[in-house]
Amino acid sequence: MSYEDFLEGRPAIVTAALTGGVHGKEANPAIPETPEEIGAAAAACREAGVSVVHLHARRENGERAFETERFQEITDAVRERAPDLIVQHSTGGTGAPLEVRRQPLLTDPAPDMASLDMGPLNRYDHLTSENTRATVDALYDLMDERGIKPELELFNSGHVTETYELLERRDLADPVYATLIFGGGTLTRPRPRNFLTSIEDLPEGAQFNTLGFARHQLPFATMGLLFGGHVRVGLEDNVYYERGELAESNAQLVERVVAVAETLGRPVATPKQARARTRPGASAALPAGSGHVRVTG
Amino acid sequence: MTCPYLAYRSEGDGREFDVERAYCTAAERFVQPMRADICNDRYDLDHEVDCEIYRAAEQ
Repeated sequence: MSYEDFLEGRPAIVTAALTGGVHGKEANPAIPETPEEIGAAAAACREAGVSVVHLHARRENGERAFETERFQEITDAVRERAPDLIVQHSTGGTGAPLEVRRQPLLTDPAPDMASLDMGPLNRYDHLTSENTRATVDALYDLMDERGIKPELELFNSGHVTETYELLERRDLADPVYATLIFGGGTLTRPRPRNFLTSIEDLPEGAQFNTLGFARHQLPFATMGLLFGGHVRVGLEDNVYYERGELAESNAQLVERVVAVAETLGRPVATPKQARARTRPGASAALPAGSGHVRVTG
Repeated sequence: MTCPYLAYRSEGDGREFDVERAYCTAAERFVQPMRADICNDRYDLDHEVDCEIYRAAEQ
């Protein structure tokens, strides 16, 4: 993917990360936490132009939940309100063992996509989300078994290298779909030169999704649009609309990035187009909830 | 064993919630949901090791 993809007008996939698992309503009361709130947010984002929703599960008090049953409630709420959306479950889980992190992959039907954290990430002062290669392989194998498209989350350039390592170990279905993440801490330092280096370093044929945390969300989404990539926005990654002004909703952030795409002349993908772009070996007319269909690429 | 500084409250820190949420009495604020897993020693987490707020409060 490159500037040529922008010039050729290839549709950009917009993902909304609706809730996350780190902060909650204590950071922004608009963050959806219950299945009903997440389902409603997904429908609003669908109306605004989203084709993929990235989902975490929470308990009633906003704390993290990993149980299949809770993910099932949430994914059912989303599919009921926006049946053509591509559902992407998180498998991230700082401090949680592998068996717990497998649970989001076991819903019926399986999610269409799932995140795969490609390496370590520091949290707070004394904690690291380890994401060892053994963990990556185990989660990948379960996704492969269930026909789930992996969304490789690359926190920094070392994880770009890990992607090549994974390609040595596993036969990833084409295309590699990777999210490049920019921000503080362990993340790639959010500077344009690092963005350009990252996209040039990706494996041949890979599609990239652009994620900038906090104030970097909009600038990096804009760069992603210009350089032929896809974009992710949402309250998981950024609770503000402007400096000092909390975002009113996930949809508000989506509407803004869709307006940028339209201004730049970059089409925004429908869910059907997004399915065709991420899983070209599968039919673009796959019905919603068909993530359990085995796809070979 | 959960952190001795953990409380569940629906009000505090100038905020109000429908459901009681994790509140740190050492930091005097509601904590992030992910940090609440540390407070509760869930999964592989241990507040005595993983939480800088607890460690600072105990020093």
